[in-house]
Amino acid sequence: MTSPQIELEHVDKHYGHFHALKDINLEIGKGRFVALVGPSGCGKSTLLRSLAGLESITGGTMKIAGETMNGVPPRRRDVAMVFQSYALYPHMTVKENLTYSMRLKRKPREERDKAAKEVAEITGLGNLLDRYPRELSGGQRQRVAMGRAIIRHPKAFLFDEPLSNLDAALRVHMRKEIRALHDRLGATSVYVTHDQVEAMTMADHVVVMREGVIEQAGAPLDLYDHPANRFVAGFIGSPAMNFVEAAVAETGDAVALEGYDGAVLPLGRKLEPGRRVVAGLRPEHLSLGEPDRSQIRVGVGVVEFTGAASYLSSAGEPELTVFHAGRTEVRPGETVGLTIAPQHVHLFDPETGRRVG
Amino acid sequence: MARFIRSVRDARGLDAVLVWLALGYLGVFSAFPLVYNIVISLQTVDLFSLASFERPFVGLQNYRDVLGDPVAGTVLWNTIQFVVLSVVFQLAIGFGLALFFQQDFPGATYLRGLFLAGWIMPALVVGAVWSWILAGDFGVLNYVLRSLGITDRNIFWLSDPNVSLYSVIIANIWLGIPFNMILLSVGLAAIPRDVYEAAELDGAGAWQRFFTITLPLMRAPLGAVISLGIIFTLQQFDLFAALTQGGPSNASNVAQYWSWQLSFQTYQISYGSVVSVLMIVFVVAVAAVYTRSTRHEQSY
Ligand SMILES: Nc1ncnc2c1ncn2[C@@H]1O[C@H](COP(=O)(O)OP(=O)(O)OP(=O)(O)O)[C@@H](O)[C@H]1O
Ligand SMILES: [Mg+2]
Repeated sequence: MTSPQIELEHVDKHYGHFHALKDINLEIGKGRFVALVGPSGCGKSTLLRSLAGLESITGGTMKIAGETMNGVPPRRRDVAMVFQSYALYPHMTVKENLTYSMRLKRKPREERDKAAKEVAEITGLGNLLDRYPRELSGGQRQRVAMGRAIIRHPKAFLFDEPLSNLDAALRVHMRKEIRALHDRLGATSVYVTHDQVEAMTMADHVVVMREGVIEQAGAPLDLYDHPANRFVAGFIGSPAMNFVEAAVAETGDAVALEGYDGAVLPLGRKLEPGRRVVAGLRPEHLSLGEPDRSQIRVGVGVVEFTGAASYLSSAGEPELTVFHAGRTEVRPGETVGLTIAPQHVHLFDPETGRRVG
Repeated sequence: MARFIRSVRDARGLDAVLVWLALGYLGVFSAFPLVYNIVISLQTVDLFSLASFERPFVGLQNYRDVLGDPVAGTVLWNTIQFVVLSVVFQLAIGFGLALFFQQDFPGATYLRGLFLAGWIMPALVVGAVWSWILAGDFGVLNYVLRSLGITDRNIFWLSDPNVSLYSVIIANIWLGIPFNMILLSVGLAAIPRDVYEAAELDGAGAWQRFFTITLPLMRAPLGAVISLGIIFTLQQFDLFAALTQGGPSNASNVAQYWSWQLSFQTYQISYGSVVSVLMIVFVVAVAAVYTRSTRHEQSY
């Protein structure tokens, strides 16, 4: 285990009476790439800005590289931030933007020029050094914002939805590029996004937040395989997990769904018989089959094709979505059968939403 | 005629009509007085020849007379002081207040609104208020200064030739602060907050942020405020009328007031025109410099 570069202990943040961050505990090892995800307004930006020192926390301690940062102004924290709006200096050329921090430190010109050239090379800005921000495309501005962070060799990189102003293709490309840069620089990065695919693909550690609380933190596949509660289960994975109310059968090793003719799904584990639960079934874990030889019989409502895959939606309530790799001959109005392996049946408590069994 | 009406009804003709209306307005109310003023400044005009156009043409003689007048030197120096001191202090205080109100504190918007009160008051009223403040024997300022023990005898702010000009300047600064503050506030508000945050993270302290971010990004608003400040200050007439009438013995006289005195008190109308023509030339130069400097506007 590498030594923690960022440590948050019982961090609280209030805006007046509004409790924006509630008892946040988080440890980020050196060289890690951590993604903060969650729905809009859950406090991701607030947490990131608190790390940068742009917001002051109202409780707890915050350490960067072992030093307590409570009350330390942003410019003494040695962290760099890439803003969603890029926040480039409009009156400076790309080169001046990149070297602004060095000019503040009165580094000699040769050193600045050399650093600017290096960073321009890394970020692919080579021939744009003399342009002004207004003369750049969105993707190029994004690179300048990154370069401005890279040139400082900071203790941590903070990203606040840096890709959300780019088109889909460029976003996918920049995802890889940012991750590659992170690895190459051996940097520590905290990356805020509301796009769970971005979080899953880029990060080695994902933190899911809701309403100022960390719901779960862990490796991307851990979150996918063992969501700690219904919220995380529904948030991670696309299309989203299906939820069906159910009850544990008399035998204790299966659940009977409500609706769908009380279809019975074996669990491969023992639970208290009769207990009410919510079953979580991922669309990609439901496999299509003959109605008579499957666990669940459903009428097909809608079928959508993307070319590589098909998405089926059931006609009944609650709606079930099925992901089918490749194409299917199934048409709306027909009846199909669905089967799911026991280890893929997630169960949650209907009241608390916590994972069961 | 029918064709004309049709062309007005489709937008193209209407455009032309509107342009000509605007040009016509400018011609009648701006260009004509301007040209007429220049013409007068080249003629000998007195009360008797005022009504006719046929007046002796004297070339630049009027200019030589005015510039040779011993009062001209005093007036020029006073005008320079009046403009420079007024603009510098209006700008510095207005900018300071704008920066101050840019900080979010409770009531900032209302306080800022209060400053507008000074702006909407007619200058003559402001002049009257200041003449009470500055009055030598029963003035508020003297009372305050004496109570604080700063002086033990009354200063005759308006009738002492050593201070009368500065009294008008103080009143004029007060009058111009709201305008400077409001315009610069608008400029400051247009600078995105996250640009400052980025600079802060890049290591810039408050002063460095001011000099490397705020000032360069405020170039256009500052240029506008300075140019307009010079122009408004050169138009400031009411305060002189209300406070010192340019006296005592021209100690606080400035070009714009002198021009009026020459034209309408001593009826040396040509001389008055000469002064105003010279002022127009200067103002046009200021406007040209300003227009050039705003050509490279920033965009965020
Ligand atoms: N300056 C502020 N004053 C009061 N409340 C604030 C302030 N800034 C943020 N909040 C509140 O704090 C909560 C968290 O905001 P935050 O910006 O961190 O959300 P977010 O997770 O980044 O959302 P998004 O994905 O929309 O950017 C929101 O409910 C917001 O209304
Ligand atoms: Mg945000």
